[in-house]
Amino acid sequence: MCGPTGIGILYGRRSLLEEMPPFLGGGDMIKRVELRTFLPNELPHKFEAGTPSIAEAIGFGAAVDYLNNIGLDDIARQEHIIISYALERLEEIPGIKVYGPEAEQKGGVASFTLEGVHPHDVSQILDRDGVAVRAGHHCAMPLHMKLNLTATTRASFYLYNTIEEVDRLVDAIYKVKKIFRA
Amino acid sequence: MDDLYREQIIDRYQNPLFKGELDPNDISFEDSNPLCGDEIRIDLRIDEHDLVQEAVFSGHGCAISQASADLLMERIQGKSLDEAKSLTKEDILEMLGIELGPVRLKCALLSLKVLKAGVYGLGEADDDLVE
Repeated sequence: MCGPTGIGILYGRRSLLEEMPPFLGGGDMIKRVELRTFLPNELPHKFEAGTPSIAEAIGFGAAVDYLNNIGLDDIARQEHIIISYALERLEEIPGIKVYGPEAEQKGGVASFTLEGVHPHDVSQILDRDGVAVRAGHHCAMPLHMKLNLTATTRASFYLYNTIEEVDRLVDAIYKVKKIFRA
Repeated sequence: MDDLYREQIIDRYQNPLFKGELDPNDISFEDSNPLCGDEIRIDLRIDEHDLVQEAVFSGHGCAISQASADLLMERIQGKSLDEAKSLTKEDILEMLGIELGPVRLKCALLSLKVLKAGVYGLGEADDDLVE
């Protein structure tokens, strides 16, 4: 969301949250304390014990305003334009396999493998070419095991990426192929 | 363009000289790097003077881990087990001839870790072995 790290939003139905006991004690989550009992504070304070991440919360608010200002529909449209082009360009590279559904059903991410080259080697060479991607299991190890993959390389696109950057990615992948004679 | 992927490393990765398994063997050990899925197994045959008669590795992983394993096997052929025990992180980096960040260092050192755990007869390979 372009905001600070370590903060996010959790949505919960009020009636359920009210039934739930606090999970952590600390400042702000109590309304009244007696020797043997205490009364928890109102929502959402009941679940926010101690000093909150103030700077992060303010930064997160700014990120929300920023994205709303651009418009979520426009961001989704931009992601779709880029991922459609990226899938088209990636799939024309010999030896590449891109995983996941067609562009219509996809967000801005493309995970792939390149025949004969380990995903970590791919990402390292791309990195040295100024293209930052991720290699590994992407928090989906069971899926990688099911697909019988050690790991994949993943390019992620967002509202700030451009078509030219997709071309740079593709050029860099050809460089990987050249180095590995793959 | 790239020191890290210089010719020798790519060549050892694609055409390893010491890849295989030995059966029977005197020492066999394997371990993996859970972060990237690299797996290395090392099989050794030891002669009556405690010298490494034959050393091979098997497994799969990135170019750095595989090339490093192949170079390590070459290094210990004919050497004593004590010499194998005395190998360090610096020896591996010198063989590879490259500088590595902390993440790729783990790839490079996996084979040394496996070798040492095997030679020392340990139950499991510990990172301390290659520190």
